[in-house]
Order: sequence, then structure tokens, then C-alpha cells
Amino acid sequence: MIPTMTVTKGSATDGQTAVISAQNVVKTFANGSVIAVDDANFQIKPGEFISLVGPSGCGKSTLLRMVAGLLERSSGQLAVHDRPVKGPDPSVSMMFQKPTLLDWRTAIENVLLPSEIAGRVTDSDRRKAMDLLELVGLKDFAFSFPAQLSGGMQQRVALARLLQTGADILLLDEPFGALDEFTRERLNVELMRIVSEVNATTLFVTHNIGEAIYLADRVFVMTPRPGRVAGIVEVPFERPRPPSIQQSPEFNALVSQVRHTFGENV
Amino acid sequence: MNEIADLTIPAPKRSALNIIARHLAIFLALISAWEISCRLEWLDPLFFPYPSSILEGFWRLYITQGNIWSHLGLTMFAVIVGFTAGSVLGVGLAICVGMSDRLRRYLKPYVIVLEATPRIAIGPVIIAAFGFGWTSKTAIVMLVCFFAPFVNTLNGMISVDRDKVEMFRSMGASRIQTFSKLLLPSALPEISAGLRLAMASALGGALVAEFIASNAGLGVLITQYTGTLNMASAFVCVLTLSALGYFIFRGMEAVDRFIIFWADRDRIEAVGRKRLAAWHSRLGDRP
Repeated sequence: MIPTMTVTKGSATDGQTAVISAQNVVKTFANGSVIAVDDANFQIKPGEFISLVGPSGCGKSTLLRMVAGLLERSSGQLAVHDRPVKGPDPSVSMMFQKPTLLDWRTAIENVLLPSEIAGRVTDSDRRKAMDLLELVGLKDFAFSFPAQLSGGMQQRVALARLLQTGADILLLDEPFGALDEFTRERLNVELMRIVSEVNATTLFVTHNIGEAIYLADRVFVMTPRPGRVAGIVEVPFERPRPPSIQQSPEFNALVSQVRHTFGENV
Repeated sequence: MNEIADLTIPAPKRSALNIIARHLAIFLALISAWEISCRLEWLDPLFFPYPSSILEGFWRLYITQGNIWSHLGLTMFAVIVGFTAGSVLGVGLAICVGMSDRLRRYLKPYVIVLEATPRIAIGPVIIAAFGFGWTSKTAIVMLVCFFAPFVNTLNGMISVDRDKVEMFRSMGASRIQTFSKLLLPSALPEISAGLRLAMASALGGALVAEFIASNAGLGVLITQYTGTLNMASAFVCVLTLSALGYFIFRGMEAVDRFIIFWADRDRIEAVGRKRLAAWHSRLGDRP
């Protein structure tokens, strides 16, 4: 539907309104003795795909949860659509590493959950849910229960549910991290197609460098103790991209650039 | 050893009739062995009545005298009322506690202590308070039936996947929505297990209450019959309780399978087909 995602690059503060903006965001735990996120500053533009990559303990999930409004920040400014984040926002939707499907609901009923929570479910909600299941390739499994679906299929249902919320900001916390390599690669390709189609702004957390670069317009490289954004790597390829791009020399150069950012800070 | 046993080829499936015949044969053999042991006086018929006289006792207690019915009814009354009250209270209170962090924190020590207390020990106290008769009996059953549903419901609610709770929160779900759409259904398998445990102890609780202080009920009947060495009749009461326990347990299992359908592969297929049909008739298009 949206044919090309001509990604605007350049510095984060080039005048365009940011969908998500963070200014000196800090999160500490245990009365300030553990700094999970230290002084995060960034601006994310509409339709951008951002990967947060780093080892465990670098605060990437903490940062994501703060954007989702699930976790309060200790200090700093964090805004979504120019509104300071005070709690969960209807324009933001989150997906977890586990499918978090409800076992007693069929796939389609799981997809309909956000509509149910928002109010009465209309027939157009139902049609939308079915269209989304088709988008993730599970139309034939709409009336299967999670127990009847594979791990990859369950995550597809979770993805459809994420889109059913109508949120334009998608937060994905290692969504395919628990899946096998083959399923994961295939789902990454589909994810790229789907977010382009729905034109969402996406924050994608991963510890896989290749995956982070392949999917993103910009990669936020995060380092632990204290967790901070150590560098931002721009990915100059247009989305959606063919998987073969991962074998190109330019791609490998980006991988070394990300590794280099780690090297400087570890 | 077990591994070897597990590797053996499973026995070929037999017809239902064949299986029934086998069970019947074994049952008759056991009963005959008992009868013969009594006749040869290997077993003292004073304490172990002839199976034939037990059978005769069934006829007498249920048909000719018919005196067991009122006792059976009274015991069942205490079991049903006590179980219902106790488990409703247990599940209800657990839901209140589960929804409130503060209640949970402050009530936990009491629950642990009460759980460790043998329920029957409170029996005489209850009898002192409520006197002989059905009220104290029902109260004891209620007490016995309170804890398993309470503890299981609470456990079920607080062990819900944290990510799922966060997901509900990120969707902006209200407390009631989170409870009805996530916490309660997630806890249902545990609640059901708690109810089954409670039901199993309900019958025992009623009997103990009748043993220590009551004037009617199967427990009283058993005490009376054994006191007069009418063992055949006492055995009729005991076997009646076995049957009762068995059917109650099977009934609860059936209810469990019906409610928690998603644990059963065959059932989810049927339920899925039903919901697909409902979808068709609502939207009138093929999904």
C-alpha cells in the first residue's frame, strides 16, 4: 500500500516533528545504586524503524518499557506525539518475546482482545482482525487455539494483535528471540513488509547485530553498566529490503561499524 | 526395570465387552475369596461379614427398612451446603486478596498458620459454639472446604505470567477487565483443582463431625451399627460412602474438563469448529 519508505536520514533534530523524543532520560533501580539507563537522548521520526541492539543488561528493554509507559523514568523528559509519557498510551503498542496469547481464546479472539478492552467489538473490528490474520499469513488458522499453533505461528498472532490496537508506534521486545533461526529470519522479512504496509514507527529490541541492521533505518547501539546509547548507526538501504542484502559488502561494513561502537565502549 | 517395562509392546486393544467381562471375573473372584474365607473362618465373620450378608444388608437398609435414606440425605446436605459455602468463601476471599497487594501482604502470615493447623482440631471448638446437629456439621465441612480453594485461587492469580499482565496494562485495561479476561481464566485450572481437593475432604469432614457430635447422618449410623456389632449394615454405609465419593469425584472431573476445555486437544478442535460456525452466521462471509 505504501510503496516505498523513503527514509529521511540526517541528524535527529532536523526540524521534523519527532514521534518519540527522549531528553536526558535516566532510570535507576535499587534507590539509585543501579543505573539501568543513563542519559538517553534521541528523536524518532514518523515511520522510522529503530533497532536497539546490545548485550543483556544494557537497558534496552528498560528503555522500551519506559516508552511504553509501563515503567516510570527516574528523571528526564520522554514524550510520545509531544505528550509526556505518564502511562500506557493508546498510540503505543508493545509485543513481548513470549507470544503472551490467552490459551482459552482462538487466534482471532486473541487478535480481537485490544478491541474488546477498548470497548464494544464491532463487525468492522472483526473484519479488521481477520484481515490482519491474513496479513500475517494465518487466515486459515483463525479458529485454532494457541495450543494448536507452533511458536512462530503464535508470534504471528501476537503481531496481528499488536496491529489490531491501531497504534502507530510499535514496540517489539526481542519478538522472535525465542524462535529457531529459520523461523526468525522468515518472520523478520515479514515484519519488514508489514510495518511498511501499515506505516508504523517501530522500536525493535534485539541482541542480534545482523537482525538489528537488516530491519532498521537507524541502529541504536547500547552498552551496559551503566546502560547508555553509545552510538547511532545509520542504515542507508531503502526498506523493504531483500534478505540477500545481508551478504553485501556495505552490510558487512555496517556490522563492523556496530561492532566498533561496542569495542570502543566495552 | 521401569525402562524395560515401558519398552514392551502395548497390549492389543480389546473390545469394551471383553474388558467388562474381565473386570467382572476379577471382582467375582475377590468376592468369592472373601466369602469362602469367612465360611472357613479364616476371617472372623463378627468383624468381616459375609459378602452375601452385606448384599442382604443393602436390600434391608435401602428397601425393606429404608432407614439409610434420611441419614444419607442429612450427610449429603451437610456436604453440599458446607462445600458450597466454604468454597465460595475461599474463592471469593482469595479474589479480593489477589486483587489487592496490601491485603495479600498483611493476610499472608495468617493464611500460612491456618493452613498448617489440622482442620479437625478446630472441630470440637465449632461444636462447642454451634452445638450438636446440622449447623456445626455444616460449619466443619465449610471450614474443611475453605482452604484448598482459597490457596489455589490465590496461587493461580499471582502466578499469572507477568508479561501477560504488562500486556493488559499496555492496552489500557481496567482492573475489572484484567481480572475477568486474564487473571480469572488463568487461575481456573488451579481453582478447579482446589475445588476437587475440597470436595474430597468434604465427605471426610462431614463424617468426622458425625463421629464426634451428631445425632443423624451416615457417620452416626456407622457408629451405631459397629457399636451393636451389626457389621454387615456398617459395611453397607461404608460402601455407600465409597460410591458417593467416586461419583462426586467423577462428576467434578467432568465439570473440570468442560470448563477448562483448552487443556484437552480433542475438545479444542470441537470448540474451534463451533466458534468458526458462529463467526459465519454473524458475518456471513467465509473466513
